[in-house]
Amino acid sequence: MRTHRVAAVPIMTHPGIELIGKTVRDAVTDGQVHFQAVKKLSEVYPSAACTTIMDLTVEAEAFGAPVNMPENEIPTVYGRLVGDADGVASLQVPDLTAGRVPQYLLANRLCAQAITDRPVFGGCIGPFSLAGRLYDMSEIMMAIYIEPDTISLLLDKCTRFIMQYCQAIKEAGSAGVVMAEPAAGLLSDEDSVLFSTKYVKRVVEAVQDDSFTVILHNCGNTGHCTRSMVESGARALHFGNRADMPRIIAEVPDYVVVMGNIDPVGVFKQADSQEVGLRTSELLRQMSGHSNFVVSSGCDLPPLVPESNIKAFFQAVDEFNEQV
Amino acid sequence: MSEILEKLFECVEFGKINAASPYPPQLRGQDGASEYTQKALAEGFSPAEIMDTALIPAMTKVGQKFSENKIFVPQMLLSAKAMNAALVYIKPYFSSGEIRRKGTFIMGTVNGDLHDIGKNLVCMMVEGAGWDVIDLGVDVGPEKFVESVRQHPDAYVGLSALLTTTMPNMKTIIDAVRAVSPSTRFIVGGAPVSADFAASIGADAYADNPQQDVEALDRFLQERA
Repeated sequence: MRTHRVAAVPIMTHPGIELIGKTVRDAVTDGQVHFQAVKKLSEVYPSAACTTIMDLTVEAEAFGAPVNMPENEIPTVYGRLVGDADGVASLQVPDLTAGRVPQYLLANRLCAQAITDRPVFGGCIGPFSLAGRLYDMSEIMMAIYIEPDTISLLLDKCTRFIMQYCQAIKEAGSAGVVMAEPAAGLLSDEDSVLFSTKYVKRVVEAVQDDSFTVILHNCGNTGHCTRSMVESGARALHFGNRADMPRIIAEVPDYVVVMGNIDPVGVFKQADSQEVGLRTSELLRQMSGHSNFVVSSGCDLPPLVPESNIKAFFQAVDEFNEQV
Repeated sequence: MSEILEKLFECVEFGKINAASPYPPQLRGQDGASEYTQKALAEGFSPAEIMDTALIPAMTKVGQKFSENKIFVPQMLLSAKAMNAALVYIKPYFSSGEIRRKGTFIMGTVNGDLHDIGKNLVCMMVEGAGWDVIDLGVDVGPEKFVESVRQHPDAYVGLSALLTTTMPNMKTIIDAVRAVSPSTRFIVGGAPVSADFAASIGADAYADNPQQDVEALDRFLQERA
C-alpha cells in the first residue's frame, strides 16, 4: 500500500500550442496565444500545476542579443553580444519593456487570472545560462578562469535583470517561477556554486516567500552538482532525464521538493504509449518512499509529442495514486 | 619522457595556454604550452615526437578525465586551447608530411541548429587526437556536407544537434551524403540524441561525449585497415 499521492507536473507548453492550432512563433511573440495554449492544456490534462513557455531567449533578446525565430521551432540566440571587459562594462541592464518581455508578462497575468484550479508557474533563464548566451557559451566557460572579474560583472547584470523579471512575474499573480539554468550543469559542483548558485540565491532571496516558489531546473546536472542546486535555497529542484533520481533525492533535504525526470525526447516523444506508462510507473515505484517527490518530464516537452503518450504518463500516475 | 615534454604534457593536461595565462593557479607565472612547444622544437625534438609523446597523450588523458566526470567543460576547453597554442608551431609540419595524420574528420551542427559548444569540444578533442578536422560550423545543410565529402572522399563525418526539431535533419544529411558516397561513415551526438536514434537513422556510431568520438574514429580506422 502506498502512503502518499504523487503530484504530476510535466513541463510542457508545445502540446498546448499544437492543440490550439498555432505555431511556436505565434506563441512566443503573442502573450494572448501563449495564454490560450497554457489554458487549453489545463483543460485537457490533470497536471497539478501549469507552466508558461520555457523560452531561454527572452531575457537575452531584452539585452539586445539577436534571436533566430523559426515558425515551429524553439527560438535560439545566435552571435555574441559582448566579448570583452569593455563590452560588459557598457552593457545596459534592460527594463521590462524590452523585446518580448511584455508579451511574456501578459501571458503570466492572463494565466494567473484564468487558471484558478491549480498554480501557474512562470519561466525564466538562470544567471549563468543567460550570461553564456550573451558572451558565447564556449567563451564564458574559459573566461570564468581567465577573466573572472569580467564574468562576475556580467553575472551581476544578468542577475539584476532576472530579479526584476521574476518580481514582475510574481506581481502578475504567478505562484512561482521555473528558473532554467542548464549551463551550470556543464560546470563542476564547486564552479556551479561560484558562478551560478551565488547569483541564483540572490534572486531566490529577493522573490521567494510563502506565496511564490522558485523551482530551479538544471537538466545538465547528471548528479555531479546537486549540492550547488540545494544551496540556492530554491524550494523545489527540477532534474533532467540523465539524473539518477533515487541517488539525487538522497542528497536533497526532505523539505525541498524534487521534480523529474521522464526523458522528454527518448520517451515522451519517441517511445510508444506503453513504454511511457512503463517508464513512469517504474520511476514512481523507485521514488515511492519520498513524500517530497513530484513526477515530471526531464525538461520541456518538445514539439510534436504524441497526445497518447502524455495521456499514458498521467494514466500511470493515476494508477499509482489509486493504490494509496 | 624528457623534462620539457613532460612540462608540455602538463600544460595541455591542465590548460596552461601560455605564460600570460593566469590559469591554472598552480602553474601561474610559468611558461605554457606555447612557450614549451617553441623550446622543444628549438632543442631539436621532432614535431612528430612532440605530438606523439606529449600533445596526443595529454589530450587522451583529458578526454578520459572528462568522461569520468573528473573534469568538466571549462577545464576541457582550456586544455584544448593549450593544445591549439602548441599546434600553432606544429601545424606547418603537417603539410610537409613529416607528421602523419590519422585522417580527416568533417564536423558540423546540422541545419536549423545554432548550438556550437558540443561541436567545438568534439573538433578540439579530435584534432588533439591526431586528426585533420574540417569544422563546417553551425546551421549546416546537406549540400555543404556533400561538397566537403566530395573534396575529402576518405573523410569521416560528425553531426551534432541540440534541438529535438533539428534531429531529423541528421538523417537528411546522411542520406544526401550516402547518395554520392555510400561508404562514408557517420558519428552523431548531442543532448537529445540517443544510441537508438543514431541506429535508426543509419549512423555508424553514437558519441555521448567527445572522447567517444575519438574512440569511434580509431575503431573506424582499425576496421578500414
